[in-house]
Amino acid sequence: KRMADDKDVLRDVWYGRIPTCFTLYQDEITEREAEPYYLLLPRVSYITLVTDKVKKHFQKVMKQEDMEEMWFEYEGTPLKWHYPIGLLFDLHASNVALPWSITVHFKNFPERDLLHCPSNSLIEAHFMSTIKEADTLKHKGQVINDMQKKDHKQLWMGLQNDKFDQFWAMNRKLMEYPTEEGGFRYIPFRIYQTMSDRPFIQKLFRPVTAEGQSHTLGDLLKEVFPAAITNDDDQKKYQVVIHGIEPMLETPVQWLSEHLSYPDNFLHISVIPTPTD
Amino acid sequence: MMADARRAHSAGSAPKRAADSWKRHIARQLKQRDLAQKIMFQDVIRSYMVLLEKFKQKDQITRRLLGSAERCLPDSVSKNSSEMAVVQHEDQVTYLQKIGRELAYEVVDLQKSVRIKDSSLVGQRGRMSELKRRLGAVESECRSLRARVAEVQEGNRALKREYDSLLEQHRRMDETYRREEVRGSELLEDLIKGKELAAESMNSKNERRVQARAATLKKELETAVKKKVNIDIGSGNTQPTKRGALKEEVEEKAEKRPTRSFRSASATSPRILESIKELFEMRKRGSSVSSLEEDLCVPVGVCVVARVPAKALHVLDAHELGINAVKFSSSSKLLATGGTDRVIKVWDIKAGRMHSRGTLGGSNEGITSIEFDPTGTKILAASYDNSALFWKLDDCVPKLTLTGHSRKVTAAKFKCSLRQVVTGSADRTVKIWDLHRPACIRTIDVSSYCSDVVCSEYFIVSGHYDKKIRFWDSRASSCTQEVPAQGKVTSLDISLDHRQLLTCSRDESLQVMDLRMNNARMSFRADGFKCGSDSTKAIFSPDGSYVTAGSADGAVYIWNVNSGHLETCLSDMHCSSINAVSWSLSGEFVVSVDKSRRAVLWSDI
Repeated sequence: KRMADDKDVLRDVWYGRIPTCFTLYQDEITEREAEPYYLLLPRVSYITLVTDKVKKHFQKVMKQEDMEEMWFEYEGTPLKWHYPIGLLFDLHASNVALPWSITVHFKNFPERDLLHCPSNSLIEAHFMSTIKEADTLKHKGQVINDMQKKDHKQLWMGLQNDKFDQFWAMNRKLMEYPTEEGGFRYIPFRIYQTMSDRPFIQKLFRPVTAEGQSHTLGDLLKEVFPAAITNDDDQKKYQVVIHGIEPMLETPVQWLSEHLSYPDNFLHISVIPTPTD
Repeated sequence: MMADARRAHSAGSAPKRAADSWKRHIARQLKQRDLAQKIMFQDVIRSYMVLLEKFKQKDQITRRLLGSAERCLPDSVSKNSSEMAVVQHEDQVTYLQKIGRELAYEVVDLQKSVRIKDSSLVGQRGRMSELKRRLGAVESECRSLRARVAEVQEGNRALKREYDSLLEQHRRMDETYRREEVRGSELLEDLIKGKELAAESMNSKNERRVQARAATLKKELETAVKKKVNIDIGSGNTQPTKRGALKEEVEEKAEKRPTRSFRSASATSPRILESIKELFEMRKRGSSVSSLEEDLCVPVGVCVVARVPAKALHVLDAHELGINAVKFSSSSKLLATGGTDRVIKVWDIKAGRMHSRGTLGGSNEGITSIEFDPTGTKILAASYDNSALFWKLDDCVPKLTLTGHSRKVTAAKFKCSLRQVVTGSADRTVKIWDLHRPACIRTIDVSSYCSDVVCSEYFIVSGHYDKKIRFWDSRASSCTQEVPAQGKVTSLDISLDHRQLLTCSRDESLQVMDLRMNNARMSFRADGFKCGSDSTKAIFSPDGSYVTAGSADGAVYIWNVNSGHLETCLSDMHCSSINAVSWSLSGEFVVSVDKSRRAVLWSDI
């Protein structure tokens, strides 16, 4: 029963969707009026990987020469394509009314904020390098390095084509660890904030204490971002969000890493201010 | 504080519930998230996509129509709008007709597939009815089989009843049979008692007759003593050799038929007196003149009390190579030895010494066994050269050579009739020969290396290397009995009364088997006794009271048959393994021969 529960969590994480409304930026030059385009975005994927249709939609009303590289922006913030969609949403738009309204640009690429994304192979390279980094933390990179080229391809194709079984058949190996150690060497995680100069916080953190006790999400935050923890008497200042939910602080980080990591094997944790209203 | 509480929680009494609570929380939150963000929107967005697609198609159609209208428009600017509409409608009509045609084609296709489905349906109905029919047949068959099962069960019950009654009958019969058997054995006992009585009376009659004979003899002797006799010494000295031979012959005759020999012999010879004295001595020793068989072919006066030898009278190297066989003649004064040097030597026993009397040649290989005929005038020997040889004592060339065996002949024995000879061989056969013809008249396949044979008139016993003793009916050539031995059988001997069989086997033991008492056996062993070879010969004493055999350590072992204990052990005279021993019929002498060509004459005095 418990195994089945865990598998259900993996499925729910994989099949998470965000309803999105793409609107063309008002200053873009069009031949006709551009209708908004609605789409369900997969949380675990990357925005440039799933927006071919959006591009086609707006092509119809624009001249070819007016179209440069497409980029997205939400309420003035350019959206980084190399962050998973779920993270972008949790970080920037957690508590707004749905659908998520994204503005589409074809001009004035914000070179300072965004990386160019000329093709899907760049996304693949980024994805694979992130997985490798995660495995370096978890197994000193032994598991990912023992895999063959086709196994790497299977991970990527599973993500690209939204094939849960294909992806997890391989990803399962990355989630294994020696039983006697009780978990990975270090937990691959990143903590993001909107109001910060640093893009994210990342530290070495073990899943179990020296005495063999499991570390919890609370332990992790206390170590890395103590401000995120609310004392009993105070009002809650921050929400700690992964995949659009707030896990309990008692949740063991090892379990979180196995079940709530993104396909790139990282726990992307958003710490956002509690909405005032 | 929270962290402490949490830790207490996870390490506390109900960690599982705690674990469940955070996990349940996550699962619940995920469901709620999907409800708010995914499920609420996915239908709307799917419909939106469908609408978008349809709109796109419509748009394309409109654009095509518009395009064709525009193509028409420049040609007929002057024509009125109705004409344009007509053209438009015609276009539409052709378009619709095209669609209609496509639909009709589809209809035809569908009809075709319907027909195919119908026919397959018919086929399946047919199959179904066929299956139903078969099901019916199987069911009826099942019913009939059930009926048969019941029938057979009934039959079985009847058979059981019948069997039970037969069993009861059998038990009754068995009882009767047992009763009858008891009665039969009682009758048999009576019969045996009767026979014993008859035999006793016969014995006493014989005794009386012998006593009467002795009495007359005594009387005659007394009268002879009273008479005055002139003894002619001179004539006796002039022809000593011839007379000697004659005397010996007379002596032998005297032993065989004492009364007659006494009558025919000239009473003047002192040697005759000596022989008569000897006869009396034997009588005094208390032997019983007995069985009919012995009367037939064994000379009278052989059944003596054997005297256990105690010292060596004469030791000599009798042959040039090892000696394999030794045998006394029935006269007890004559001895034959046979050796690996291919010859048989005949010896006279005189004054406690062995004197060579002659050599019998003719064998191409070593001699394995020797047998005298009861008259002591003929010798039968078995040889390594696959033959058996037959001599008359006065001729050193064999009278007959019996050839036919394919390997060495281990034993050759006279049958009681003296006309026939039995031989045993390493070629796994036993052959019976007729000396008159002379030829092999029967070959018995005995299935193993035969090391020795003994025979009576009607049966043959053979000893084998496969640790078996086999009994053969000599007329039918069939094996009547097979008795296991403890080891390889090296020799056999049968007592003079043919009641007991002696076997020597390589487990260093001798065994005596009572041939009349269910083959009851008795074993003889001794510390130090060891069979020297695969052909070591063990023998009965002439009265059957002792058994003896030579050992590998050069000692002669003698056991008492009645007590089963070792009587004596004669050692220190042989330096090598003893091959054979022989006990004179008078019971006085024993001769043992060994592998290193030595022969020793033993006696009690």
